[in-house]
Amino acid sequence: MATDLEYTSFELMAVAGARELKDGEIVGVGLGLPVISSFLAKRTHAPNATILFELGVVDPEPLTVAVHGLSDPRLWYRAKIHSSFADMLGSVLHKGLIDVGFLGALEVDMYGNLNTTLLGDPKGKFRRFTGSGGGNDLASNARRTVITIRHEARKLNEAVTFITSPGYLRGGDEREKLGLRGGPSRVITDKAIFGFDPQSKKMRLESIHPNTTLEDVLSNMSFQPIIPDDVPVTVPPTAEEVRLIREEIDPEKAYAGS
Amino acid sequence: MTKVSTLAEAVASIPSGAHVALSGFATARCAMAFAHEVIRQGITKLTVSQCVGAMDADILVGAGAVERIVYGGGSRGRSGQHFCLNRAIEQGDLITEEFSSLSMTFRYLAGSLGLPFIPIRSLNGSDILKRLEEKTSPLVGRLQDPFTGEDWLVLKPLVPDVSVVQIQVADEEGNAWILGPRWDNEEQSKASKRTIVITEQLVSTETIRRYPERTLIHGFRVSHVVHLPFSAHPSSVYGVYDFDKEHIKIYAQASKTPQGLQEYLDKYVYGVKDHWEYLEQIGGMKYLDELRADPILGY
Repeated sequence: MATDLEYTSFELMAVAGARELKDGEIVGVGLGLPVISSFLAKRTHAPNATILFELGVVDPEPLTVAVHGLSDPRLWYRAKIHSSFADMLGSVLHKGLIDVGFLGALEVDMYGNLNTTLLGDPKGKFRRFTGSGGGNDLASNARRTVITIRHEARKLNEAVTFITSPGYLRGGDEREKLGLRGGPSRVITDKAIFGFDPQSKKMRLESIHPNTTLEDVLSNMSFQPIIPDDVPVTVPPTAEEVRLIREEIDPEKAYAGS
Repeated sequence: MTKVSTLAEAVASIPSGAHVALSGFATARCAMAFAHEVIRQGITKLTVSQCVGAMDADILVGAGAVERIVYGGGSRGRSGQHFCLNRAIEQGDLITEEFSSLSMTFRYLAGSLGLPFIPIRSLNGSDILKRLEEKTSPLVGRLQDPFTGEDWLVLKPLVPDVSVVQIQVADEEGNAWILGPRWDNEEQSKASKRTIVITEQLVSTETIRRYPERTLIHGFRVSHVVHLPFSAHPSSVYGVYDFDKEHIKIYAQASKTPQGLQEYLDKYVYGVKDHWEYLEQIGGMKYLDELRADPILGY
């Protein structure tokens, strides 16, 4: 493979997200990058993955991903199932059949707790955002959670303003003791990929993206993650993965700039 | 027995202070004509519930018809936040009971089954739960599983006074189909004391009898059937018409400020006598025809 393959940071994140999904898994998908990643996974190494949207849509094959939201019927096209929250989030997710909850976030902390409810604005006031939707449900009930977020100091915080969706709470076995299933396994940003320490449940640097330095990663986050002695470089996208995103999955570049 | 009535009659059956479950999800199957008529009739102090915040709840809140919202969060997706809802909550003008999509669904499901409470794994450890635990009248509790001894969070059921479902096909008794994904609508209707059906198409009961497995809204639960085309505009009705991107932009821009919303209401709600005048106001049949769904695509 040519080493000078050009790709955007969004494409790198989308590919990294796709690689987190295994063939045959059932994936509960939030809007945005997780849609691109899961469609990419289905076209590459995970053709037998099942993609599920909370409102009652399973395995759609939309003609476009330039959609307004989960409620946009463009996203429901050619689905195998049209059903309901009780069906998707109840008899699939709550029952324990979702392998991966794939979520975008506004703010994440060192234990993978997510905030999509309240953010401080520069004037020191709080602004309300979307709240949970199915986010809390996926984070509470999926066997593992993959989180994608822009790598900015105000988004990667020591503690989140409001826990909309629980990660490992204050670490250790606190999550498990509350009877919550699974927990975050990966946080994918545009600079790095993080995992979580099995004991302390603190965020741990897993790899740094090509053309990014450790200093760049750390200076753009508001807490110190665990840094192992050896931090590899994130495996870059292949030419085929980039082609699939650009030509087949998102030719209108609905997400390329996001 | 026919329950076909005008929108004005159906809305007039709802007293101020009632709990109304709304069928909208973001920009899909929102009960918009219904919301406009509620505002025109001056009904206030409503409790509104739905799993995911939608345009029907937003405009009702903006117009001051709502005292309490029970919901699971939500937005208009890429077309933005629910400005009226968020503004009312930030300013403390609205009592909020905020849950998640599944916890709302479970509350409706418990209501639909006549259960006194329902256990759930969601919400544990979250600040959503912390806020709910601070409520003076309890909405959540804890119970020990008698079989395993495990500790469970339990939710109070939701039993709305009326659910308003915006759907594609119904007969005059209110037996109705919901085509496409139906999010919380089936549980909403079954949990409620009665249902108002607002349908794009009125069909014969013979048609309903031909496909009985499609009847998700049961006629015997329905008090009113309102036959009103394009009554979810500017949101979409799967298989019938697409959402109106341009009009949603107009609403989004207007609803950013209370003044903007007031101007919107003056033009599209107070400034028209009924839904038919509203349809003329936005551009009439020629304009609406552009929104009609392709039968294969569904949008």
